[in-house]
Amino acid sequence: MESGSTTDHSVTMIKRKKLFEDRWSSFGSHAGLTGLSEMLSPAELREIDIFKEYDDSFLQTISPDVSIAQWKADVVLFEEGSFLDLAFYVLDGEVGVAIKMHEESLNAIPTFDAQRTVYASDPRSFQVPQEGVAATILQTRMTARETSKDPQITFLASMDFNLPLGSTIVLKKGDLFGEIGALNGWPQSATAHTTSACKLVQIRVPALREMKKASGAFKEKIDQIYRERTLFEQLKTSPVFRGSGDAFLESLTEKVELLSFSPGDVITKQGDRVDALYMVRSGFLKIFERLGEADVAVNYLSKGMTIGEVELLLPDIDTWLSSTTSVGYSELVRIERDTFHDIIREHPLVEKRLWDSAVAQMKESGFTRKNLDKSELIEFSLQKGLVQGNSILVIDLDVCTRCDDCVRGCADTHGGRPRFVREGDTFDHFLIARSCYHCDDPVCLVGCPTGAIGRAGVGEVVAIDDGLCIGCGTCATKCPYDAIVMHDTGDTWGDDALPERLRGRPQKVASKCDLCYTSDDGPACVNNCPHSCAFRIGSIQDFQSLLSTEKAEA
Amino acid sequence: MKKTAIYQRKRPDSPRWLNKWIQSLPWFFGFVLAVFGCLVIFVVNATTGRIHPGNAWGLGYGIGATVALVAVLLYTVRRRTMKLRPPGRAWTYLQVHVYGGGIFLLLMLMHTGFRIPSGIHTWWLWLISLWVVGSGVLGIVIQKWIPTVLSAGLAVEVHYDRVPELIEHIRTRSEKIVASADERLREFYESRVAPSLVAPEPRLMYFIDITGGIHARIKPFEYLRALLPASDQESLDELKELFNTKLEIDAHYTLQRVLRTWLILHVPISMVLVVLLFIHIFSVLYY
Repeated sequence: MESGSTTDHSVTMIKRKKLFEDRWSSFGSHAGLTGLSEMLSPAELREIDIFKEYDDSFLQTISPDVSIAQWKADVVLFEEGSFLDLAFYVLDGEVGVAIKMHEESLNAIPTFDAQRTVYASDPRSFQVPQEGVAATILQTRMTARETSKDPQITFLASMDFNLPLGSTIVLKKGDLFGEIGALNGWPQSATAHTTSACKLVQIRVPALREMKKASGAFKEKIDQIYRERTLFEQLKTSPVFRGSGDAFLESLTEKVELLSFSPGDVITKQGDRVDALYMVRSGFLKIFERLGEADVAVNYLSKGMTIGEVELLLPDIDTWLSSTTSVGYSELVRIERDTFHDIIREHPLVEKRLWDSAVAQMKESGFTRKNLDKSELIEFSLQKGLVQGNSILVIDLDVCTRCDDCVRGCADTHGGRPRFVREGDTFDHFLIARSCYHCDDPVCLVGCPTGAIGRAGVGEVVAIDDGLCIGCGTCATKCPYDAIVMHDTGDTWGDDALPERLRGRPQKVASKCDLCYTSDDGPACVNNCPHSCAFRIGSIQDFQSLLSTEKAEA
Repeated sequence: MKKTAIYQRKRPDSPRWLNKWIQSLPWFFGFVLAVFGCLVIFVVNATTGRIHPGNAWGLGYGIGATVALVAVLLYTVRRRTMKLRPPGRAWTYLQVHVYGGGIFLLLMLMHTGFRIPSGIHTWWLWLISLWVVGSGVLGIVIQKWIPTVLSAGLAVEVHYDRVPELIEHIRTRSEKIVASADERLREFYESRVAPSLVAPEPRLMYFIDITGGIHARIKPFEYLRALLPASDQESLDELKELFNTKLEIDAHYTLQRVLRTWLILHVPISMVLVVLLFIHIFSVLYY
């Protein structure tokens, strides 16, 4: 990051352009971007179909998270496996969407490669499908567009639908895509590619969440598309409903209710009447029971898991045996009690699986009630956010000689500035270092004014682009786990610094673990630990098995 | 494209009762095998020829010892060149450092025929080699013992370099608590607690029992409890908690200091060893 005092105006302008481009591209590179709007006024936003129903004050609130980008033709917007924190709405031009289309070129890209916006090797390979689901979808869209003078907004939910391998569908004006992946923190399951010069409205997750909350119609539209495309696939691949037949699953998608919960929301309450079976679409739920005077966490649920089968299957149980709350933002599928009973009556295979699941849950809960150290781990993991983590730095204090080579290695890899602190919470004899967990739902991404922080495009890695960071500290404040540290660079912003409010102020920069994703050797902290006591775990199951192994060996 | 960002720990492959001391059985058995091999060679040498540092056998041992020492030094080099992202994990280098150190000493002793050299320079070289390996073994013992003691007996984990800052933080918070408290609590603080909140206090007691000293020093808080009004009970609890933390920090400071200072016994002398060895090789080649 250059100090404003040492840079001339043109350099600052280039930097600002880069700054804004990156804000919306989110991929670290922006080779195909030709223009980007600055903050749009409510009047400008209302000219776009998707924002028509919102009032001025609402549009004013979300405008920092909305922009219009112009893209060149034949540019890959995102690829399969990318994590996006924004959805695209087509204003003009065409976008092709395909699954495994660029398999060969994808394989050619190194696993650790921040360059995510790449030109397609052969844009002519985009072919309009003539048959199959993709063709049906396309036909439906085209018919809708042709028969309406005022084209309806159509949605393409996270690309998670039955698109045949190698084929492509083309999205046109009025199509929204990527919203489900962005809202749920799921990786995209398809590659999107501009087939002509495009004008796209780019809406970041905070704005999407607000739009969903503020408009029942918008929520209904997103949910409807989710029902049609994604839910079917999710049910089809879920452990409970796998192999139940397409007709049954299609009918089920119409019967279920889709629910969204905020952190701390109560989903079930011990002792209340059991009303439904819940299946987690995204997020985490904490299950706890009243034992004596205290609430004891007995389990937690993550994506694809269900709650309610125990109570609904066992005779003479009419009330919830445990309470459930949402740990962060969560999305659930709710299957009514009557529908549930219809299902198990007509589908013995599903009933058997639900029994299996119920038995497993009862075993798990029973085990936890008798082994309160597991409950302690669940509570600790939920409290400290370990359930969110994809890569958590753990240090075995029984072995650690406090030599700090992990920190030194980290600093040496990152220009002398370490990206974590060898401090944090301890569980048993393990230290959970204050280092980024690379969360499933990274709240630090929300609200960054320059888009300096984002998914690095390599798996779950969340990284900060130093060149774009203006040191506002938003990410550091948002991170619930104190994993982002603000560093003072010792400089002050110059008189030509942009944005203007920075001028004359101390130059700071946010710093966090990037998992050394540009290195083939993996994280420096692990690599440089001479006693092999620093390591990374990917889930609390890993942690649980580690603790169990230690216990068994002892 | 999704890469699971898990970098698993290299689990010890030795049994639990042993893995505190020997993390890797292949490395250990490799070392044992190397020692056995060296001894066999020495026995063959002793039975078939003369043991002398200047003959082919002796020179071979000397060259072997030098190679082992160079391998041992790679660990130090790696630590100093982390910026350059040296290949391989630090753990592997440490295994080479530890086991290579043992092989170096053995070869050096074989080089001298397990006798004390007569020349001043070689005498120093011999003595310093023993010192370096001996201090290294001491370091291993310290590094195995202290972390277990710290993690088993103390609730807090402390960064050694931040100890003064943490104590200052505890002092500030404590003064804030007693500022509005009962006179008896303030007096107690001034006489019994405040003197300890000035700086870290290393105590030998922590080497004997990491927790014993702390429990005894916390007791007066309970004696005071009966004398304080109900409104100050919470302040007393907070103060007790802070003081307890301070004492645990002291325990950390005491033991972590040893973890750091033993290196003084090892590293500078090791450098002297390298210099002396260089002179030794130069003089052998030159003369």
